[in-house]
Amino acid sequence: MKRFSQLAVPYIIWAVLMLILPMGLIALYSVTEPGNSIISFSLTLEHYAKFFTDPDFLIILWRSLGIAFKTTVICLILGYPAAYFISRSSEKTQRLLVLCITIPTWINMLVRTYAWIGMLSEGGPIQQILNILGLGTPELLYTEGAVLLGMVYNFVPFMILQINTSLCKMDTSLLEAGADLGANPVQAFLRVTLPLSLPGVINGITLVFLPAVSSFFIPKLLGGGQYFLIGNLIENQFITVGEWNFGSAISMIMAAVMMLLMMAVRKVELHNQGGKEE
Amino acid sequence: MKKGKRPFGKILMTLMIVFFYLPILYMIIFSFNEGKSLTVFTGFSLRWYQHMLESRDMMEALYTTFSVALIATAVSTAAGTVAAIGLSRSRKIVRNVMEQVNNLPLMNPEIVTAIGFMLLFITFRVGKGYMTMLLAHIAFCTPYVMLSVMPKIRSMDPNIADAAMDLGATPWQALTKAIVPQITPGILSGALIAFTMSVDDFIISYFVTGGGVKNLSIMVYTMSKRINPSINAISTLVVVIITIALAVINLVPVLMAKRETREEIGKRRWVLPGALALCAVLAAVFLLRPEGGDSALPYAGETLYVYMPGEYIGEEVVPDFEARTGATVIMENFDSNEQMYIKVANGEAYDLLIPSDYMIQRLIEEDLLQPLDPSLLTCMDVLNEAVLNPPYDPENTYSVPYFWGTVGIVYDKTKVDLEELKEQGFDIFKNEKYYGDIYLYDSERDSFMMALKALGYSMNTENEEELNAAYDWLEECVQTMKPEIVTDEIIDNMAQGRKALGLIYSGDAAYVMSENENMGFYLPESGTNLWFDSMVIPANAENPELAHEFMNFISEYDIAYDNSSYVGYTSPNEEVAADLSGEGGEFEGIDAYVPRMGYEMDEVFVYNEDTRKIISNLWSKVKIAASNAS
Repeated sequence: MKRFSQLAVPYIIWAVLMLILPMGLIALYSVTEPGNSIISFSLTLEHYAKFFTDPDFLIILWRSLGIAFKTTVICLILGYPAAYFISRSSEKTQRLLVLCITIPTWINMLVRTYAWIGMLSEGGPIQQILNILGLGTPELLYTEGAVLLGMVYNFVPFMILQINTSLCKMDTSLLEAGADLGANPVQAFLRVTLPLSLPGVINGITLVFLPAVSSFFIPKLLGGGQYFLIGNLIENQFITVGEWNFGSAISMIMAAVMMLLMMAVRKVELHNQGGKEE
Repeated sequence: MKKGKRPFGKILMTLMIVFFYLPILYMIIFSFNEGKSLTVFTGFSLRWYQHMLESRDMMEALYTTFSVALIATAVSTAAGTVAAIGLSRSRKIVRNVMEQVNNLPLMNPEIVTAIGFMLLFITFRVGKGYMTMLLAHIAFCTPYVMLSVMPKIRSMDPNIADAAMDLGATPWQALTKAIVPQITPGILSGALIAFTMSVDDFIISYFVTGGGVKNLSIMVYTMSKRINPSINAISTLVVVIITIALAVINLVPVLMAKRETREEIGKRRWVLPGALALCAVLAAVFLLRPEGGDSALPYAGETLYVYMPGEYIGEEVVPDFEARTGATVIMENFDSNEQMYIKVANGEAYDLLIPSDYMIQRLIEEDLLQPLDPSLLTCMDVLNEAVLNPPYDPENTYSVPYFWGTVGIVYDKTKVDLEELKEQGFDIFKNEKYYGDIYLYDSERDSFMMALKALGYSMNTENEEELNAAYDWLEECVQTMKPEIVTDEIIDNMAQGRKALGLIYSGDAAYVMSENENMGFYLPESGTNLWFDSMVIPANAENPELAHEFMNFISEYDIAYDNSSYVGYTSPNEEVAADLSGEGGEFEGIDAYVPRMGYEMDEVFVYNEDTRKIISNLWSKVKIAASNAS
């Protein structure tokens, strides 16, 4: 029985080298002074202090969380009904629709984002449509709206697919039972469908929120250089400013914030499941 | 309920599908556009496809994307499956710990994972390039494979391997004949996820690549600043490849289902289509693989690694150089001197760099350059005296000028009055008349130059009060004027007359003015930055001889002429510059092409580490302020 356990050994070594060590290095960089080598270094907490004592950085973090939150809410509002519709379609339609939603996710994310530049640019189709509708020709590209749109566009398929998976797993006889017991469709949805689809919703939220917070190319491509989020700040520290220690500290802070948020979300899920069993 | 009409759902679903596919469709349509515009369709043409096929950069990006994805998928699927089987037989504590470890790339923001890999490779001096990209992809794909294989193993009868071996199977047979067939669906869907993740990845690849290795994402990211419908063409190609692969994977089982019984499909439905799709992608990748050069030429088989600013070289220059020498040029682009410095200082090897004056000074001071070999340089005689023996490299020991120019204001003559511009100089960027109608340049150096000059200070000031005053100037500007902070995007946008004013390099202005006659270029009386971008050879260059050859080549009349007329920057080759700006030249009457010389308020940048740090940090804060104001 234990015969195959040594098969895991190479991977454990690999994981230590490629997954744990990099995180360790970020942690190390974040608490050391610039110019240190891995052999000799002096510890400091100044990078963390720098981040937390400057309101500008905190505002950037807050704004990044804010736009990720907006993205997640919009994805949920659009994604849930879509997933619900798919899960209630015939098997053939279901297959087709899932395929239709999967194809864009297979196409490279940069390409998908790039595709919007032409659509949103001045004189582009969306501006023309707005003009015909008598809404004037507002600037679309390089605005917060464009960033939000780019994020929703890139991430909403993950939400739909996750919710759809959990809705499809649902036992429909529960709904019939509910109806037999006198539940109207709204009650059946709120009491049966919604709670049972919650794991999918939670997974969807994770898959949308996480990349939305740290994305730096969507703001850069669609928001322009004046649209600066926490991901851009980190990229900037590593690519142009060259302050890797401070950049590492911001990375650690971001990772910690995300972990706390995700734990909170999971807790909601567990609480909910616990509640149902009673 | 199931069969009921659900108009709301149908409308929503239709709108969603339109939403998903409209941008992609729009992009595909404009890949066939005859003109260069992304908004006006002028006629059907395949020129952008031709352009794409001729661009080795693009073909290599495609090759890198798919070859990395295929190898990473194969390795991570095999390794992930073996590891998952091994872990399922390990002690519980090992299993739980490893599950947490595997969660790291799944639950961490991608940029954190990316930085971890980058620090890892740099700390252990692994040269960044194709191998590091591949290793990183394998590392982040494997956990996804394991995640998809694990549940299948759990639902499998744990005694099956023992039973097989009791019946005389060797452990290997037990593994391949008894265990693997049971978990095949999990393995295949894991492979599919790994492939998708790898093709889709940008952030991790961006941080771990080097040596000019680009995948599709990196290419789009660095090229999207200029209008270039070839990007549409290559994207269309990717859409087609992916759609065919996905359609095969999804449709073949449906077709087969009509012929075979259900149980058989359960086992085999992935195998055939998966194999077919794999073959199709493999074939595409190998057909597109770039070819090598002609072996009869002097530098055949050699490679020149060039690291230079993006959009800064004539289209034919590199192909011509390759045709003449037989060498292969690997081109990598940077957005700023600072970005280049970080890579070079971290030991990444290039043969030729094209940084600016102050950065060359820094590289010389830090012993990162090697002196040029005068016996190999034949080009110095044709260069303009104004660009020779500059203060940062007094005897041209290290550098050969590439382009030179100034930084000024590009303005729309129909919207901005020249008199007003003369009166206000750089302060026009704070004139509320042009609220929302200006471009700033996303460069700490040039932005602070503008602010310092507007305030009447030297742009080389080391006085912190003056620097802070410049910061206040910039902060006020971004908070009250709603500028767009761009880099190369300014070129096509100003050529189309999108805004009234912008801070711009003289060469870009020359291009803009040659495209749009309503545009003018103005150098404020408060003075501006006179700059020189020069070719230098890093100390760790592997092929300095070929780099010298490139320097000579680029300075030749014909090549310099093509290069300068293509990008619009002023050639240091005196004859070329005179011909291009003279009668009948491409830049006749365009003042931006001829840099202002001998004006006492103009300065050349001097490098100072302390000032650079202050400016760097302050510029980040200006951008944050701009972001918070919007």
